Amino acid sequence: MNSGRTSVLLIEDNAGDADLLRLRLLEGGSQVDVSCVDRLSSALAFVAQQPPAVVVLDLTLPDSHGPETFRRLHEQAPGVPVVILTAVDDEEIAVKAVQLGAQDYLLKSQVDGKQLARSIRYAVERQALLTSLETSRQQQLQFKNEFLSHVSHEMRTPLTSIYQFSSILWDGLAGAVSAEQRDHLGTILKSVGQLQAMIHDLLEATRTQSGKVRIEPHGMEVAEIMQQAITLLKNSAQQKQISLELEVEPSLPLAYADGDRVLQVLINLIGNAIKFTSEGGAIVARAGLVEIDPGFIYVSISDTGRGISPEAKPSIFERLYQAPEAQDNSRTGLGLGLYIAKELVELHGGRIWVNSQLGEGSTFTFTLPRFCLDKLLGPLITHQGLLRESLVLIRVEVSSALSTSTFRRKATSLRCREILQRCIYPDRDLVLPGLRNGEPDEIFFIVASTTLELAEIMITRIREQLVSSPELKTSGVFKVSASSLDLPAADGQVPLEKLVLQVAEHVSASVKLALRTPQNFNQISIPKPADGRAEKRRTHAKAKNSDRRR
Amino acid sequence: MPKQKILIVDDDPDLKKGLNLRLRANHYDTVYASDGFSAVMMAQKERPNLIILDIGLPAGDGFVVLERLQKNAALATIPVIVLTARDPQTNKERTLKAGATAFLQKPADNAELLEAISAALDQPPGTMAQS
Repeated sequence: MNSGRTSVLLIEDNAGDADLLRLRLLEGGSQVDVSCVDRLSSALAFVAQQPPAVVVLDLTLPDSHGPETFRRLHEQAPGVPVVILTAVDDEEIAVKAVQLGAQDYLLKSQVDGKQLARSIRYAVERQALLTSLETSRQQQLQFKNEFLSHVSHEMRTPLTSIYQFSSILWDGLAGAVSAEQRDHLGTILKSVGQLQAMIHDLLEATRTQSGKVRIEPHGMEVAEIMQQAITLLKNSAQQKQISLELEVEPSLPLAYADGDRVLQVLINLIGNAIKFTSEGGAIVARAGLVEIDPGFIYVSISDTGRGISPEAKPSIFERLYQAPEAQDNSRTGLGLGLYIAKELVELHGGRIWVNSQLGEGSTFTFTLPRFCLDKLLGPLITHQGLLRESLVLIRVEVSSALSTSTFRRKATSLRCREILQRCIYPDRDLVLPGLRNGEPDEIFFIVASTTLELAEIMITRIREQLVSSPELKTSGVFKVSASSLDLPAADGQVPLEKLVLQVAEHVSASVKLALRTPQNFNQISIPKPADGRAEKRRTHAKAKNSDRRR
Repeated sequence: MPKQKILIVDDDPDLKKGLNLRLRANHYDTVYASDGFSAVMMAQKERPNLIILDIGLPAGDGFVVLERLQKNAALATIPVIVLTARDPQTNKERTLKAGATAFLQKPADNAELLEAISAALDQPPGTMAQS
């Protein structure tokens, strides 16, 4: 321990006990500065301001009891060691606190100065050791990640040369190639692909482990992504005469997921299915609503392959797991594929599992959350347990004539979304996530907790920002319009969640309507301040009509 | 129609050679630069229809090149495809923000690269010329 004085925070509500302990602390011989508080709330404020070297804590306080007292304190200041004070009949609770991370406990009735001083010294030293272990673990992890990232970057450059020149030979750009030579070149190119996939997986696994993978969920059609995966893998299935079919429940709702990531998972699962199924087999990709929990959509990949042994089943999703031997002569890879798939599915809030009998094929299933606006809208359309008074739906359209290049359109779309994010109040308004898989958005919707009149300020800001953005000003026309959303009456009878759900449904319906018939929406575009009221009434009437029809 | 000219900016001579062969086989004219400084000089002098740009370069990396191109009204309109071994996760958005048209990671599939090139060259005239 460092020389100098030790600051001790004593958290004890009994004034007599507190005085006694202070005395014991001072008589213990060590140099201590004692501060004393009698509530957990004041203790939390204290440690936030000036973390002490050690805390001596009575678990039973006026505003908190039992292990919970320790848990809350520890959460606030995980680096500060805590010694628990307990009465004889509460020893069990003290033990629980030690299991939660407290350094030691002392029986109040038996505390003497020397014992207290020793306990405090050990607590401080053990905590210092723990902290330095954690620091070095973090450093190692960071080093490993940087190392892998560097290595995979460096490996890509020579790999690029191998790919470039063998494909130049293959395409006959450097002279005629005999059939045999072409065959060998094919082998090289296939290996390049495998190596590239491995480098990709290596980096991806590092990222998932260090929590660096970002997913950008939006409302997406699962069937569309499944079709994409099948199209990509059709050839390799055909080469083994394996049939590859898609069965999706009709009118399956949208999933709330990142299309690119889901595609990655599907390619992995279908790729594995092809790898482990013998010639002439069959693979079926299915999707539907999870029966027992309709908040989720399932996707499953079934094959007629050799199946997975019961012993192997628990470990197949682990890092570096490799199947004993692949069905064909394809290489096994790094053993990261299923691990990454699992991490990606879990990042979406879904689950992944496998059903399999040895020799009778396997079915891998994962779930994805449904696209529900209520989860997104809830936090901003409710305020102090009540629904906000008025909501406005703003529609922003970027002229689609801006470019024929998908790349350019994507960049424009991304920038547009960024600008919109800057124009809103994040705790009251929401730029709705895009509704198409990976396609650049051309129409954006904002739900704003405000009135139509006040929304105009936001709309003016959006217009100005879009037009003055150097990247966007050439994109041409922006159409910004707004309509107020009819809110269900809050009569105190209907629970808040239900109201939120109603609003979410109403928003979804309005968005669908506004997507399909932009002209209608433009008619109710921002009114001039003068005739704002009349305009608003008309909008309300419209919304009510459509409600009645429903 | 005259051939479209592409400026290849990469400090790896093998990659330059390979890319040159591939692009010429697809009826593009090519010119090169191996560092950030000469990349901007070559862009000035040759006025290419498109630039393929690496990020890790001596004498001004890819981001510096993008910045200089953007600052020059005559060069800002040239579409730039960034072709790099670097991680898209940490670099893609940054390059697009800096003015690149597309981001591809090495090794990029030939078909994908050629598609990106023709897409970038296909910009309707005027859409970028005013910026």
